[in-house]
Amino acid sequence: MAPKSQAQTQPQVGKRKPTKSSSLHRTVRLDGERIPSSSAPSRMTRMDPLTAFSKSVTTVSTVNKINASQSQGQKFKGKGKAKIQEYESENSGEDGQAAGFLWVDKYEPMTEAQLAVHARKVEDVRRWFDEAFEGGPSGKLTKYRRILVLTGPSGTGKTATVRVLAKEMGFEIMEWKNTIGEAQNFFSQESNTSDYEGLFTKFEAFLARASTCHNIFASSSAQKSKNRRIILLEDLPNILHSKTQTQFHEALHALVSAQSANPVPVVIIISDSGLRGEATDERRAEAGGWGWGKDKTQIIDVRTVLPKDLLGGQFVTEISFNPIAPTLLRKALQAMLSIHFSRSSASAPSKEVLDTIVESANGDIRSAIMALQFACIIEFPGRGKKRLGEQRIVLEAVTRREQSLALFHLLGKVLYNKRMGDPPSASASAKDLQKERDIDAALKPSVKLPVHLHQHDRRASRVNVESLYADSPIDTSLFSLYIHQNYTQFCNEVEESEDLADWLSWIDASGGDMWYQANPHQFHLLTLGTLHSLPSPVPRRSQKYYKPEFFGFLQKEKDAWDSVCATRDWLIDDLLSRDGSGWRAGGWTKNDVVLEVGGVLKAQDAIQNSKYARPPPPVHKLFSQMTFTRTGNTVRASQLDERDDFQADQQLGLDRDLDMVSPSSIYKMAEEKGGWLESDDIDEF
Amino acid sequence: MSLWVDQYRPRSLDALSYHHGLSERLKALAASGDFPHMLFYGPSGAGKKTRISCTLKQLFGSGVEKLKIDQRVFLSPSKRKIEINIVQSNYHIEITPSEAGNYDRVVIQELLKEIAQTQQVDMGAKQRFKVVIINEADSLSRDAQAALRRTMEKYMSNMRIILCANSTSRLIAPIKSRCLLMRVAAPSEDEMLAVLQSVARRVGFDLPPEAGTKIVEDSNGNLRKALLVLEALKMQSPDLTGPLSIAKPDWEVYCHKVADLIVSEQSPARVMEVRTKFYELLSHCIPPTVILKTVAERVVDKVDESLKADIMHWAAFYEVRMRNGNKKIYHLEAWVVKVMSLYKQFFYNIDMSEFD
Repeated sequence: MAPKSQAQTQPQVGKRKPTKSSSLHRTVRLDGERIPSSSAPSRMTRMDPLTAFSKSVTTVSTVNKINASQSQGQKFKGKGKAKIQEYESENSGEDGQAAGFLWVDKYEPMTEAQLAVHARKVEDVRRWFDEAFEGGPSGKLTKYRRILVLTGPSGTGKTATVRVLAKEMGFEIMEWKNTIGEAQNFFSQESNTSDYEGLFTKFEAFLARASTCHNIFASSSAQKSKNRRIILLEDLPNILHSKTQTQFHEALHALVSAQSANPVPVVIIISDSGLRGEATDERRAEAGGWGWGKDKTQIIDVRTVLPKDLLGGQFVTEISFNPIAPTLLRKALQAMLSIHFSRSSASAPSKEVLDTIVESANGDIRSAIMALQFACIIEFPGRGKKRLGEQRIVLEAVTRREQSLALFHLLGKVLYNKRMGDPPSASASAKDLQKERDIDAALKPSVKLPVHLHQHDRRASRVNVESLYADSPIDTSLFSLYIHQNYTQFCNEVEESEDLADWLSWIDASGGDMWYQANPHQFHLLTLGTLHSLPSPVPRRSQKYYKPEFFGFLQKEKDAWDSVCATRDWLIDDLLSRDGSGWRAGGWTKNDVVLEVGGVLKAQDAIQNSKYARPPPPVHKLFSQMTFTRTGNTVRASQLDERDDFQADQQLGLDRDLDMVSPSSIYKMAEEKGGWLESDDIDEF
Repeated sequence: MSLWVDQYRPRSLDALSYHHGLSERLKALAASGDFPHMLFYGPSGAGKKTRISCTLKQLFGSGVEKLKIDQRVFLSPSKRKIEINIVQSNYHIEITPSEAGNYDRVVIQELLKEIAQTQQVDMGAKQRFKVVIINEADSLSRDAQAALRRTMEKYMSNMRIILCANSTSRLIAPIKSRCLLMRVAAPSEDEMLAVLQSVARRVGFDLPPEAGTKIVEDSNGNLRKALLVLEALKMQSPDLTGPLSIAKPDWEVYCHKVADLIVSEQSPARVMEVRTKFYELLSHCIPPTVILKTVAERVVDKVDESLKADIMHWAAFYEVRMRNGNKKIYHLEAWVVKVMSLYKQFFYNIDMSEFD
């Protein structure tokens, strides 16, 4: 099967000059540079700042040396466009070099129809590009469409969408790559070691040149595209380094504020990387001690990549990609298989294999394709049912992603507290029942406890804490907040709540002040404690999961603290303004202000004519006024949806210190304020 | 115009209207030339800070009254900026390190080192040392206290520390032993009444004795609170006659109602409701310890004698956890659920005994 698979990578060219073209591929790749090749047609140029501008001559000569002639390369480039047809092309006599190609590259989508991304998302991105180049319906939006940020988990087709649209709409992509092959260039030219440029300097130069200059090496197709270009930033500079981050932000600012008649839009692609169970603690440990703030910047997300004023501003549009829906994923995989095996003698993998892959890919099409290729390569021993079982085991081991449990299901597993021998739920299908029986069969019944411990007797739990820990999409702290928000619905009596609340309290207080004293078993304790405390079976009364209210109130508290400070400043300023009476000026601590001044402030507000030169700041109501209302049992928290992810909450900040305003919460606010509408440009003119 | 509490605050040791023995001793101490580190402790509103400032004036003369407020920025180990307001004169500096949250140690160390390493440059100064006043010393973290202990010995030559705390129980022993302890007890009711009346006289009105007594009773030995209440009342009804209703602060009323919620029903749904109330209190900046204490006191008032000890025990228990933990709400809630469960079982047991 392997020799067959490379057949499609080399179209007609490969047939004619097999050795040379493949050697071109290899060499260029090792050079850290991908001259338009298998994955991209000629219009797309990947730019290495080193070679694209300052030292471009060298590169060309290198290529020349390796390749027989430049014209050969050109020829090849020209043929690259034939890629779409290559699927159908019949090839034979290929050499072994191309066997290394992955299906991910080989079957990269070429048209919108091949994209597995939801059509509406593609439409969003397309509209943005349209507006960026043409200015939208009013023709004036060009000005605002400067930066497009594509976010989403990895393998959701962000880059592919941009590439496909580049092809369809006819624009050129200039991509920044952090070069590591730099040293190589050093040694090849001993002369100019003095003009060493830092990577970031190069990046800035790249941005500046890419947004102003035209590519002189552009082939004829570039003229067709009417000089439409975009800058693609996927391989970002090291923005975890705070200085580089600042510089990067400045560069973006400069880019956006530059007045140009024909600005080059920038596309930034950021893959969300989730957090795992213990991730926060680890990061804290790396940051050394209290890791305040630092643990925030250790994550590359849209908030660290973009300065916050830009993020909320009118120049930046953010489009977030969702994990690819199983139906779309399956369709795409099937299409790929039918192409691949149309000419192959080997048989396509069975439907079960495909099912397993789709199930475990978790919306990541890249990993799904990888798994599929893998599944087609290995030969499973055995026959029939046994073979199928083994296949499944191997595939699960290969395709299993670490975060395969949605938050919604994680909560469900813990809070429903299923135990061995639970009566099956009414809605359970036969398959579910079988599954439950299988689990029960694998469980060991719990040991009978002595009489004095009988209140701790529980049937064996169906929940596997270890696998939950491995699969948990959130860290323990956030998990405990979710449990805390939701547990009361699952308790019948206050006694069950008592145990659970005590567990939460104990886990929160366990461990010491320092990061290295943190309790490493929090997740297990929390899960086991919760399972132990909840009634069994848990009553079913269509409970809904809610997101923790904690963060909302935390934000309120921060605002209130600001108002306390304002009020205290008012008290102190009032004293200092009167000469010689600034006696107790520092004496008002925040707590004094909160607990004791309220009455006076209230009375002051009640009478209109103020005896003070300056009236107290009206924000004092944030802490001084409280009206007790019986809200009953209405829950104001927003409901957790199965499709929700935890990111939004994560970004609200899990601060160890509640007194301090977390930077991310400010971003959050800024985000809410900056809602620019499509019609904004009308006011502008 | 500032608040009466600030405006009519005594400026010198002689002007203090109660604890005369203490004033004499402080005066003697200031005159002796050998001034120790000091720790003033006592309930809030008893006059600790007033006495500290009077002592300072005795030590340095009226120069200490020329205050300025600086905003200082400190860097935490993880390079986070901490902004702190610092009140200072040429002779002293006053800080509330608890405002730095977890980073009080950094603030204490930086600041003390800086002060200790600069000599008094004013040749006319009466004393060679500078004074550092640390407010709310009982909320200093262990770390910060440990940092303080070394500094206190090392820089004794040009710096004195005056700590101000509500109780000494949260201070580590080495600090207590390095300080001269000064207990400022709450004033008696008569003393408070006298102060209220003298303030009223200086403002220019007569305080009816009934009103005065009522305010004093309500304020529970907290003179600052009494004066604030007096001012608020005067604003509401300028003649201060007739039946006065002293409104409790909103947060206190709120806490009491929460306590009523706990006693009236015990169910998971009620836990949920109480939680929302606690969130509300916390988001109004009411310190969690105060919330727990106020609610617990109210609950204890309402339950059977045999339950009181248990309820207070658990309040103390969860208060400790709250200090160690991060999310205050867990511990407040754990206590509530505990109380609910105790209360419920108490009634359950009564019923059982009746059946027997």
